[in-house]
Amino acid sequence: MPFPNVRLSNRPLHFIYLCDCSGSMAAQGKMQALNQAIRQSLPGMAEVARENPEAKVLVRAVRFADQAAWHLAEPTPVQQLQWRDLEAGGITAMGAALELVASALQSPPMEERALPPVLVLISDGQPTDDFEAGLARLMQRPWAQKAVRLAIAMGHDADLEVLQQFIGPEPAGRGRSPRRPLQASNATTLAQYIQWASTAVVGAASMPASRVTPAGPMTDGNIPLPDLPPTLLDPIDDVGPLVW
Amino acid sequence: MSSGWLQARACSVIGAAHQRQGKPCQDAAISCSLPAGREQLQLMAVADGHGGSRYWLSQVGSSLACEQARQAVAQALQQTPLHATERWLQLLQHDLPAAIHSGWLQAIEADWQQRPEQEQPFSPLTYGCTLGLVLLAPRWWGCTGLGDWDLAAVEQGGAARLLSQESDPELAAGEATGSLCQSMDQQGWFTRAQLQHLHAGDPLQALVLSTDGVRKSCATDADYLQLCAGVAELNDLAELEQGLARITAEGSGDDVSLAIAVRGDGRPSHRPARRLGRLQVAAAGTAALLGLGGLLSWGLLRRQEDPIAAQAQQLCERPWQIQAMLNQRRSQFQAVLQTPNTAAQLHAQAGVDPLGALIAASRHNPVQGCDRLKLELDRQWQQARAAQEREAGRMPATAAPEPAPSPP
Repeated sequence: MPFPNVRLSNRPLHFIYLCDCSGSMAAQGKMQALNQAIRQSLPGMAEVARENPEAKVLVRAVRFADQAAWHLAEPTPVQQLQWRDLEAGGITAMGAALELVASALQSPPMEERALPPVLVLISDGQPTDDFEAGLARLMQRPWAQKAVRLAIAMGHDADLEVLQQFIGPEPAGRGRSPRRPLQASNATTLAQYIQWASTAVVGAASMPASRVTPAGPMTDGNIPLPDLPPTLLDPIDDVGPLVW
Repeated sequence: MSSGWLQARACSVIGAAHQRQGKPCQDAAISCSLPAGREQLQLMAVADGHGGSRYWLSQVGSSLACEQARQAVAQALQQTPLHATERWLQLLQHDLPAAIHSGWLQAIEADWQQRPEQEQPFSPLTYGCTLGLVLLAPRWWGCTGLGDWDLAAVEQGGAARLLSQESDPELAAGEATGSLCQSMDQQGWFTRAQLQHLHAGDPLQALVLSTDGVRKSCATDADYLQLCAGVAELNDLAELEQGLARITAEGSGDDVSLAIAVRGDGRPSHRPARRLGRLQVAAAGTAALLGLGGLLSWGLLRRQEDPIAAQAQQLCERPWQIQAMLNQRRSQFQAVLQTPNTAAQLHAQAGVDPLGALIAASRHNPVQGCDRLKLELDRQWQQARAAQEREAGRMPATAAPEPAPSPP
């Protein structure tokens, strides 16, 4: 009797960008910097995917301004991804963006065997719609609870409190942590954070080690996150001027 | 002796991702038969070490978990007859979990004391692993455990269904799972414990126990169940290992373990060893009746006094099974290397687990037996030592094997 021939599958890893496309993103080259950073990160992400064949990295993107809409609706293998530029204009419907992602994070269409998704929220301002309702809808989804949730604040006008709510409980102590909003003050720092999320974080999420179920709420996230890259916020680094 | 089940089989295969990263296999699996009066109880268990850096000795933890499961069940068998099913359910729900957890904690602490890092604070977290075990009696089967293992039943006609899983995957906390390194009150043994009676005409044909890497490698649960139905019909353990290697390479990349038990028809087995046993009993009775039992009685006495030699003889009578039988005991080879007092424990329980005792005895001295047994034992020790070297971050000393043991 031969070994049974059943369908095997590597595990999908859904990586979803939630990008603020409000009018303020047009100022000081922020929109251009974001497009550039994402585009430049793709080869590195594809390389990480190649090194981890047990995970199938699939990228999607949501843009939000006056409304939220899928910018890249189809889960696209990172190797095939051609990034189309986002354009700025409008207000900040962040809550609607979270609801849109919530609709995608249910099974189906989410695969039974999927790895914990990675959600990256990038914003330079404050939500203008019902953020709380959107977040509540998102967090009803088990896949969102399991997800690695990261937030990048572009400039110092971003609402850090809202971004922290998206990530989850703030870690104890002070200092930089991927469990806090990452503050990008210039294009270089933004690119470093995007690169980190799309390579180091994708790498960690691609080969998750099973771990012990915590007795209480899971405060340190579902996936142990890699160290952050050095940035301008680190006094020993000098990677660019404070622009935003 | 009859267990109502054919000999259970178990094996673990290193995950493709771990192989690529130079990490050891953190899964362990065991299957063995334990005497229960005139019957037999079979045990099969799988354990999955947590892979993260915090759990860097989880391959030791999983190996010791399987060994502790065997010891705890053997101990319970000395006090509880198989027909006391209500008591066995209690054992599965409470007593076995407590005994295994307690024994595991002692075993991992003893292991820690042997390590160069012993000056650092000891933490059970370092050894964290899951454990699933199934008991197979002639008229019932039962299971217990904690963590993300799966148990499937294969019924007449080849239909398979899931009998036990950690929880609804939708509600599961991602990659988090129950673990032996948690305190007892956090562990979910009770919810996984069950005992099912086997009645005449029961459609159950086989039970398949697996670590999460197997199910996560299958495209859907339907594929997983189809796999369970298929592996229940496999006879060749080498083929099972090859199939598992393909599963992890084309699937999750995780370590994968399977343990399979197939029901017999309840009649005495026709396999040579059991026939030999019946013949010996019949011959001994006849010889005693004739007053000519000296030689045969000596033979039986010798068998009772030296279960290791009897086990070696039994294996050599079925040389085609030697490799498969020893492959199923990889965790014991590793446990003997990793924890010095394991050999003494196995030796002390030679009457209950003669193969375990034979393995322990072969660590430093050659066993009496056929060449094939000796060669396979040597091969297993080399593999276990190589695994230990990998774990210690050193190159396997394949080029410089240990000196051959000197003759007694």
